Amino acid sequence: MHFSEDDLRQALKRKDPGSGFTQRVMARMEQAKTEDAAAMKGKPAPSAKKSNGFFAWWQLRPAWIVAVTAVLLLGFGWAGYQYAEYRHQKQAAITAAIHEKELQEAERARDQAILALQIARSKLNHVLQQTQLPADGNDKIRRQRL
Amino acid sequence: MNRTGKWLLQIFVGVVLCCSTALGYGQSAARLQLANLDKLSDKAARVTDVTLDGTLLELAVKIIELDKDPEADQLKDIIRSLKGIYVKSFEFDDASQYSQADVEAVRAQLTSPRWSKIVQSIDKRNHEHDEVYILKDGGRVGGIVVLVAEAKELTVVNIVGDVPLEKVMALEEHFVPERSHGGKHKPNKERSHDDE
Repeated sequence: MHFSEDDLRQALKRKDPGSGFTQRVMARMEQAKTEDAAAMKGKPAPSAKKSNGFFAWWQLRPAWIVAVTAVLLLGFGWAGYQYAEYRHQKQAAITAAIHEKELQEAERARDQAILALQIARSKLNHVLQQTQLPADGNDKIRRQRL
Repeated sequence: MNRTGKWLLQIFVGVVLCCSTALGYGQSAARLQLANLDKLSDKAARVTDVTLDGTLLELAVKIIELDKDPEADQLKDIIRSLKGIYVKSFEFDDASQYSQADVEAVRAQLTSPRWSKIVQSIDKRNHEHDEVYILKDGGRVGGIVVLVAEAKELTVVNIVGDVPLEKVMALEEHFVPERSHGGKHKPNKERSHDDE
């Protein structure tokens, strides 16, 4: 479609809005305000709508943060205490086992030492009896025969 | 450091090395190698094998210290002065279960001039040859070996250290421990020379 310059001039030339234009505009504005007010009355408040939603708890996030932090701190504290107790008991058990083992080893060493010394004493006595030396350890070496 | 200082330091290091070597040699000389006798274990009716080195003797002293028995002090004094106790005793049901070479292997280690044979008893009727050797360590006794070779028994007692013989000889009989603790024993009637 082709518009001539005259067509455009005709279309854009000033026109008289007619009488009562101002009143009509004001009346339309009032009507629009009334419609908006009515629409707002009929619908629930935006905050109330949000509070029923899935993420409503987020509205109370400072309280939740405090609660969750407290729970986490308590949880970590309890776990740490339990772990420390476990380590302590384990260490005590290991120490006791080592002590018990050392004790048994020491007792075995003592018994073996006593046995060895008794054998030594017995054999020395026997040899001295065989050589008809008095079995008196104090001067045994002094009276050596060889 | 000047030249004299270096010279003195070298002498000091040399003396320390010589002393430590001599000490080590003294201890190793006092201990006999008795591993060649282990093969007799299979033939023996009773085997007593005791090997106690310095660490175990220290442990033994610690446990003896817990004993309130005053006579335990005597035992403690003996063990404290020792560096090692090694006993191998074999008792056989039949005669001639060990060879002369087994005994000679032990005697060969006692030929060093530091070892002195202080007692020897030979009883050809009973095929018994008993010897006592001591290791001279300066003016002290550095070790003792008692070698008892009988027809049905071979016993070698090797004690390393300053052996207080008078205290060993004076040890009370009741110090004999439970037989289950000492060495590996095959079931046999216990026999002691003290009972003879």
